[in-house]
Amino acid sequence: MVKRNRLEVIRDILEILQKNRQVKITHLIYKANLSNNSIKPYMEYLLKNGFMQEVSDRDKKFFKITPKGNEFLIEFSKMKIFSESFGL
Amino acid sequence: MSFTLSLGRFYGIDSLIEVLIILVAIVISLYSHKIYKIIKEQNYKYFSWAFLFIAVSFTFKILSNLTIYQRIRIERINFVYTVFSQPNYMQILNFISFILYNIFYLLGFLILFLILTKTDKKEKIFLYMYLSIIAILFSIYFNFIFHLTLILILVFLTMHFYENYKNHRTTNSILVYIAFLLMLISHIFMVFSDVHSLIYMISEGLMLIGFLFLLTNQIKLKKFTYNYGKKKQARSNKRYLRNTAKK
Repeated sequence: MVKRNRLEVIRDILEILQKNRQVKITHLIYKANLSNNSIKPYMEYLLKNGFMQEVSDRDKKFFKITPKGNEFLIEFSKMKIFSESFGL
Repeated sequence: MSFTLSLGRFYGIDSLIEVLIILVAIVISLYSHKIYKIIKEQNYKYFSWAFLFIAVSFTFKILSNLTIYQRIRIERINFVYTVFSQPNYMQILNFISFILYNIFYLLGFLILFLILTKTDKKEKIFLYMYLSIIAILFSIYFNFIFHLTLILILVFLTMHFYENYKNHRTTNSILVYIAFLLMLISHIFMVFSDVHSLIYMISEGLMLIGFLFLLTNQIKLKKFTYNYGKKKQARSNKRYLRNTAKK
């Protein structure tokens, strides 16, 4: 299996969030195929940049994608197409 | 000091083609720079530089076209003496713009070659740069040397883009492959451009079509946002707003 780069991991997390209304951290770790420790810097990055937001529901923490996160996903797909077309 | 500019041999058609090429090269350069600003990956920065250099080179080519009738025929070994002993400033301007076109153009394609072949060893880069300088110096006396060097670089680039197309099999990758194939054919024609002026125009036309293929690639990227992105984004944003309103 090819190792994902930083941006691809971010894309995977955002895609999981986009497909679901709100996601628990354990679900995110499982779906994104990451460990408890390795997901932390990505979560910090996504929250800090406003790509996702934390919500509390019955004392449980959930995460959901923001419109900015959606825009980033589209931009990412475009960047990937550009990169693939030139073989960069 | 007198300034005598002309539209050149083809009533400025070749210069018009070059303006279009400059615009396409700038669009690609800006997009690559945008990616670099987001990802911070060096490859995209150099890729952006490569297309920027190509755009700059064509600007000098236009200047060279406008002063084409002032071109100096260099027959002496010491070209610096030949050029700067000429009393006509326009001849000097033509020579300098022509040389700068050669430098920036070759540098642009060389950077593309270095990025795509993933050459990162300093010794190799130095050697390629040195050989390019030699090619530019030789092209002062024999113009076809410049085109032969570019043909060599473009052969490798075209091969790379063909391999890339085979790996991805996407419309975008075939567009880039065809674009560089046309640029290669254009330079093959350019070697014989002194034989007949029509060959020069065919070469310019092929170069323009090549860059238009690259522009199509960029336009397809824009369309992708509209076709694919909007639906998904709208659905997700709607959900986001609904949930925020509930709170």
